[in-house]
Amino acid sequence: MDYHALNAMLNLYSADGKIQFEKDKEAAREYFLQHVNQNTVFFHSLKERLDYLVEKEYYEPETLGMYSFEFIQKLNDLAYSKKFRFETFLGAFKYYTSYTLKTFDGKRYLERFEDRVVMTALGLAQGDEQLATDLVEEIIAGRFQPATPTFLNTGKAQRGELVSCFLLRIEDNMESISRGINSSLQLSKRGGGVALLLSNIRESGAPIKQIENQSSGIIPVMKLLEDSFSYANQLGARQGAGAVYLSAHHPDIMRFLDTKRENADEKIRIKTLSLGVVVPDITFELAKNNEDMYLFSPYDVERVYGKPFGDVPITENYRAMVDDPRIKKTKINAREFFQTIAEIQFESGYPYIVFEDTVNKANPIKGRINMSNLCSEILQVNTPTTYNEDLSYAQIGKDISCNLGSMNIALSMDSPDLGKTVETAIRGLTAVSNMSHISSVRSVEDGNDKSHAIGLGQMNLHGYLARERIHYGSEEGIDFTNIYFYTVLFHALRASNRIAIERGEAFDGFAESKYASGEFFDKYTDAAWVPQTARVIELFADAGVHIPTQHDWQELKASIQEHGIYNQNLQAVPPTGSISYINNSTSSIHPIASKIEIRKEGKLGRVYYPAPFMTNDNLEYYEDAYEIGYEKVIDTYAAATQHVDQGLSLTLFFKDTATTRDINKAQIYAWRKGIKTIYYIRLRQLALEGTNMSECVSCML
Amino acid sequence: MTLTDPVNSAKSDPAHAGPVKLVDHVNAINWNRIQDDKDLEVWNRLVNNFWLPEKVPLSNDVQSWNTLSPDEQQTTMRVFTGLTLLDTIQGTVGAVSLIPDSLTPHEEAVYTNIAFMESVHAKSYSSIFSTLCSTKDIDDAFRWSVENEHLQKKASIVMEYYRGDEPLKRKVASTLLESFLFYSGFYLPMYWSSRAKLTNTADLIRLIIRDEAVHGYYIGYKFQRGLELVDQAKRDEIKDYTFSLLYELYDNEVQYTQSLYDGLGLTEDVKKFLHYNANKALMNLGYESMFPSSVTDVNPAILASLSPNADENHDFFSGSGSSYVIGKAVNTEDEDWDF
Repeated sequence: MDYHALNAMLNLYSADGKIQFEKDKEAAREYFLQHVNQNTVFFHSLKERLDYLVEKEYYEPETLGMYSFEFIQKLNDLAYSKKFRFETFLGAFKYYTSYTLKTFDGKRYLERFEDRVVMTALGLAQGDEQLATDLVEEIIAGRFQPATPTFLNTGKAQRGELVSCFLLRIEDNMESISRGINSSLQLSKRGGGVALLLSNIRESGAPIKQIENQSSGIIPVMKLLEDSFSYANQLGARQGAGAVYLSAHHPDIMRFLDTKRENADEKIRIKTLSLGVVVPDITFELAKNNEDMYLFSPYDVERVYGKPFGDVPITENYRAMVDDPRIKKTKINAREFFQTIAEIQFESGYPYIVFEDTVNKANPIKGRINMSNLCSEILQVNTPTTYNEDLSYAQIGKDISCNLGSMNIALSMDSPDLGKTVETAIRGLTAVSNMSHISSVRSVEDGNDKSHAIGLGQMNLHGYLARERIHYGSEEGIDFTNIYFYTVLFHALRASNRIAIERGEAFDGFAESKYASGEFFDKYTDAAWVPQTARVIELFADAGVHIPTQHDWQELKASIQEHGIYNQNLQAVPPTGSISYINNSTSSIHPIASKIEIRKEGKLGRVYYPAPFMTNDNLEYYEDAYEIGYEKVIDTYAAATQHVDQGLSLTLFFKDTATTRDINKAQIYAWRKGIKTIYYIRLRQLALEGTNMSECVSCML
Repeated sequence: MTLTDPVNSAKSDPAHAGPVKLVDHVNAINWNRIQDDKDLEVWNRLVNNFWLPEKVPLSNDVQSWNTLSPDEQQTTMRVFTGLTLLDTIQGTVGAVSLIPDSLTPHEEAVYTNIAFMESVHAKSYSSIFSTLCSTKDIDDAFRWSVENEHLQKKASIVMEYYRGDEPLKRKVASTLLESFLFYSGFYLPMYWSSRAKLTNTADLIRLIIRDEAVHGYYIGYKFQRGLELVDQAKRDEIKDYTFSLLYELYDNEVQYTQSLYDGLGLTEDVKKFLHYNANKALMNLGYESMFPSSVTDVNPAILASLSPNADENHDFFSGSGSSYVIGKAVNTEDEDWDF
């Protein structure tokens, strides 16, 4: 039988009502026998292979040139000695479809998984043999997995950038808007996802050159951006993707949301651009009191406050702005605003939400956060760029790029040294930052040079908990999440501190941060963070993982206050789509969406993926996100959020019996629990009884 | 209580001898007096499932379309013209012809929804065409659909029963169309998507399948309610009729399948799929299976892709998925904002 059919049998029960896990293993094996092995170019030796790949311009000679051949041979042998095997068909299929190096005609494979790991390690270590060895150990063991652009591109001669994610401001002038579109094209071409801030742009009907009713607002800008993203993709490897963020109090907010309506006119309908709304605390207060919420003209606010609308904290200034006759305003009902968001989320999954004041209160860096990115986990400060009349830069501001990589929580808990795993990951990500120079977008290049921001993520939380027979969202599950993230934070800061000491350099602006003032550490030095349940104490003890003490924190604080940290930002928990399949993880720190997940992507078609560590005997620990409900998901995220300097992609899952009120309640609950951002709303509609297929695993309730 | 007894009135009233009948008496429909809960349940489901082809980013399939060989492209287009024809029949004649036979006023309303969605489906294929193909290729494919005798025969068999004067037989024909005849066409986009081709087109087709599954189920359900109102002799007659119609359609469908799929070598697998769906159609009508399980072992990749549950975890950046629905708006209350 062909491997697609075998894989699909995972979604069909056997005659005795069991999930057919073995069919997926067979599918993976058949995939290698029928397809991969026959289509992989054979080389007699590593030497022959590398010479060929360099000569034919598949590999960058610079990467290999930093090491002796003997060392590369040793590293290669180390990687192959680990006997790596893909756990699932989707893992193997995804890797060979999307990551591995292929001949230029796209027909034959030039790398196996081990080769990609070695090349990634060699590239990131930049000649440091110890780091290269550490990276191979961590990646091949599955404890650390660099994000797609890094893992896909490192060491290849024909490639996109290693960085995945960009955030750009747009100011309220034509130069900035056109620069934003140009930068979007450039960054998409290089494989990034780009988010743009629209809050600063004047509303439709605002004056241009003091003549009233001239501006057409943000919708035409969104249209231009959408078309730009669909034009540019990274050598066809990844479709260009973009997001736009808008303040809840921007006058065009309802038009912005309506672009995602099912029955929106083609002229204003936005299909592929992602939307995000930035919501301050005051909006919740207004809704609580069932008041109207005022929307303020960005054009007027910028003139009154002397800075762009997006940089003005709405909550602090709301009453003053309402009373200020110089600011033109309109009003809508606050509760209706939230209900509209929920309606649109039902229809489209969008918008994302950024809780602006929560984010800024938790931000240890000087400046203001006014947007997030395509996956709503990047939260960093930015500053505007200004232009001369000839479109050259007057002052280059700071825009954001972030490179990501995620740890597999289950395998990291099995690590012989969790601290070292974290440190290796931080060093790998820092290398990506140091190696990235996006000269076509100067504000991004400058921002990266100054901040060395990275985002260490986590995945496979549900897989780990289920393996340990703990229910997701249970008291023990939340206790573990808290202590795990607490421990990771300690090691991440320590690693960044060590890099600062080695390089004699901290990130730009460290002196004005809450790390330098010490304020950041108060919550860790003032109180002890220890597990509250016996099971979690046991888990850490059995794993031999030391939980940092107040004393450890005092030492670290002293060292950081003296030497600084190298990275402005350290953690961000992305949604981990593709890499979690390769890595055999559950996505991010979400619950699973289904025991057998139906994965659909442009390059894959429809493929079936079993949750990690699941057998026919432990199914009870694999409740899916729709069964678990939003409270437990939010509680779990809240436990992690308190130890993460940036954000965590948080998707909420609802059955189709939910109403907009349920979604609103979840948003209120998330905001109250200190969640920073909400990513997608996903809905599951079950087939009408009588029309479903009883044979199907994923249809089962 | 029914306002009229449509099952009998349609038959007895000589004024209804024309090909398509209209309801002869209309009272204002009162949705607060539901006689059959299934009407409301299905109405709500259909309304929630409302969609338009513009929602699916079909243009993302253009690259993938270009990787198909000319033969594969031609077969795909022919499949879609065939489906267009069936959906056109169902939208303009089929669902409308069921209205006068309704047992409840709410059933009438459901058929109007079904009729409209069938027209949306028919238009969807044109969206696929205009996104992927040139005008000349489109015209060629439509010409083929006019000239293919098996397709035309399929259409004329069904049309004949819609024109006939037996409400129960109309429902049988309609259910067989919704649950059986469409599927020879649905096979191909499901097949492509299991091979990572035309995945957005497959999304759109899956939305159609989602609708057809409900339509076939509902009409079959109403057929069974109608059957309860007639005597045993009539029931026996209808059952004989159903199986002989299915045989007639099946014979034709096999030939249609050969004319479409022989070139791609998929005919045998599609036939299994036909058997599987013929059994489904019979199940919707409340009858036993016709084909033994030995000839319904459809390729698992196709079978698994059929699940009408919208539960796939799609990649938002390359498609819209089929899982979003129009939600129920409910105001928040003060207690929700109690913080």
